[in-house]
Amino acid sequence: MHISFLIHNAYGIGGTIRTTCNLASTLAEQHDVEVVSVFRHRDEPVFDFAPNVRLRHLVDIRKGERGYEGDRPEYHSPAQVFPYAEGRYQQYNALTDERIADHLASVDADVVIGTRPGLNVHLARQTKRGPLRVGQEHLTLDSHSKALRNQLRGVYPRLDALTTTTEADARAYRGTMRLPGVRVQAVPNSVPRPDVSPADGTGKWVVAAGRLAPVKRYDLLIRAFDRVRGERPDWRLRIYGSGKQKDRLRALIDELGLYNHVFLMGPAHPIDPEWAKGSIAAVTSSLESFGMTIVEAMRCGLPVVSTDCPHGPGEIIDNGVDGRLVPVGDVDAIADGLLELINNDALRERMGQAALQDSERFDPARIAERYESLFHDLRGRTTAIGRVRGSLHRTRGTLLGSGYNARAALHRGRRT
Amino acid sequence: MNATLRTPTADSARDAHLSLSTDCVADSAGGLTFDLADPGARGDAHLLLRLRASDVDGEPDEVRLPLTPAGHGRLRAVLPSSVDLPEGRWDAYAEYGASEPRRLVPGLNDLRSLVDRVPSGARGHVAVRIPYATKYGNLTVRAWHRAPHAEGGELYIGDTELTVHGRLFGTTPTSDAYAEAHSRRQPALTHRADVTSQGADFTCTLDHQALAAQPGSWDLWLYPSGAAGPRVRIARLLDDVADKKPIFTYPLTRLDTEAGPVDVGPYYTTDNDLSVRVVTVA
Repeated sequence: MHISFLIHNAYGIGGTIRTTCNLASTLAEQHDVEVVSVFRHRDEPVFDFAPNVRLRHLVDIRKGERGYEGDRPEYHSPAQVFPYAEGRYQQYNALTDERIADHLASVDADVVIGTRPGLNVHLARQTKRGPLRVGQEHLTLDSHSKALRNQLRGVYPRLDALTTTTEADARAYRGTMRLPGVRVQAVPNSVPRPDVSPADGTGKWVVAAGRLAPVKRYDLLIRAFDRVRGERPDWRLRIYGSGKQKDRLRALIDELGLYNHVFLMGPAHPIDPEWAKGSIAAVTSSLESFGMTIVEAMRCGLPVVSTDCPHGPGEIIDNGVDGRLVPVGDVDAIADGLLELINNDALRERMGQAALQDSERFDPARIAERYESLFHDLRGRTTAIGRVRGSLHRTRGTLLGSGYNARAALHRGRRT
Repeated sequence: MNATLRTPTADSARDAHLSLSTDCVADSAGGLTFDLADPGARGDAHLLLRLRASDVDGEPDEVRLPLTPAGHGRLRAVLPSSVDLPEGRWDAYAEYGASEPRRLVPGLNDLRSLVDRVPSGARGHVAVRIPYATKYGNLTVRAWHRAPHAEGGELYIGDTELTVHGRLFGTTPTSDAYAEAHSRRQPALTHRADVTSQGADFTCTLDHQALAAQPGSWDLWLYPSGAAGPRVRIARLLDDVADKKPIFTYPLTRLDTEAGPVDVGPYYTTDNDLSVRVVTVA
């Protein structure tokens, strides 16, 4: 199969880029894969795409390069196709509209994959007839504004499939978006086997990693560790990552006198060797659209104590088997969860082993298989019902605009 | 279509980068193993460690370690703890035959055996080597050699005093042991503190008010067998963190002095030695 990804910027750092890099590189073992990056702001990507993944860009924004296009007038006129309610609308413009349209009108692929809502809109509206149109949602439906949801509702019916990273988010799309004829399917993010050997569970360290942002609630983790220190002063906590909360967290550590026990380590890349130094991982977020760090830690053999926040943790952790889920926002529950594993070496070791095994389902090879079978199913469906259905459906989507109720009824009727 | 394919030049630049990416594994004895891709170059292959010129007088010190095939297209060099490496920052290069050495970049650093390292100190000294990424993204090894060594551990900051817990390696504290803070601005100015010890573990308590009288930095020294014996700089070296300063940070204590209010607090220097800073509050 020819598979073509469309991504905001393959040259940056971030969860979507990393997971796209993993998926594209794995699919490239069996398929012809290209990654088309709307923007290119540096010479080389940060993440290592497999050498046979073709990587190219549509708009060059490298200042000082011969191909620099950031000074073109179209670059400074507002986008018409990219939805204005999308978080990255300000970065898109008439030039990206044009380049993405040209790309999708001529794309030589069996499957085209969009990696964020605005690009999925381009995909739905502008892909030439033929390729399967698969939109990925790396965030969650409830993180989108009402305006964006309305914009997506109008065009997403022209996708063949929409993937979410969790079942919870897939249910939300099915339940509230009414996307007739669109296969909505949860496919988790992939995390490769780490290049370091797993943790042996003997180090008296709890490790956390993520942006130092309010949503991560590291303040709760630090407060919980105050109780851990009271009972087990021989254990310590490392928090990796950078962010705006750093000074506040630093002040909290000092206020609680935890400066011998809790350390803000700064960012680490790669992070796997840092997980391998710990014996327990902690996640105290109020929201995780997926929970990539949970899987990363598990793949390094760490049991994770995590809040049972929407959406991902509960779908990743098998509570009491390969980790511990605790209520959101509850300092004592977090401390209890940590102390349960700190005070029981056998349990910690058993959960660490289970975490290692259970997290294999997120291996890129396994996730790529799930995408492959999705593509095969969709191709089977379109071939069986015929291409006409797809194009009619799309025409109708364009004509009816917001008349999705009627369309939903029509499609429900057809499918049964 | 205005899209461009990746150019051959970019690809070869990327390949060259990959071939310089070096994985580093530390063992608990203080040895390091370096692994990198074999570029298939002619001639002898060496991993070259070059002490930064700014750290020494005159010619840079160099250590050459043979790079030998380790299977799977990889080359390996070993820096055992027995190889003497003077203190400083050692930049890492790959050297193939007579060609110009190429600066290495860090790949995967597996330093887990350093995290809670307790060296024996049996031969009277402690050697520490921590590989790290420089601010330009290159691979450098930070080395310390202390004979003996006083490792700083937990610090307790009270309203009136700073208590330092630590452990001595390479010698044992005697009943004559004491600690001393030396003012950097006024070398003649010192402040002595009693030391209590149990085996190799020692504790000393420094009076904030005494230090507050002299703004600037105070360096902390341990005299394990009193004035007649060696003096040992208190430092924090025994883990995987090459640069302690930004990570091991401590709250400041506000004090009133005759010259006005000052903030007093411990910190680790860029060499990971323990000092106390006294800052006049404007």
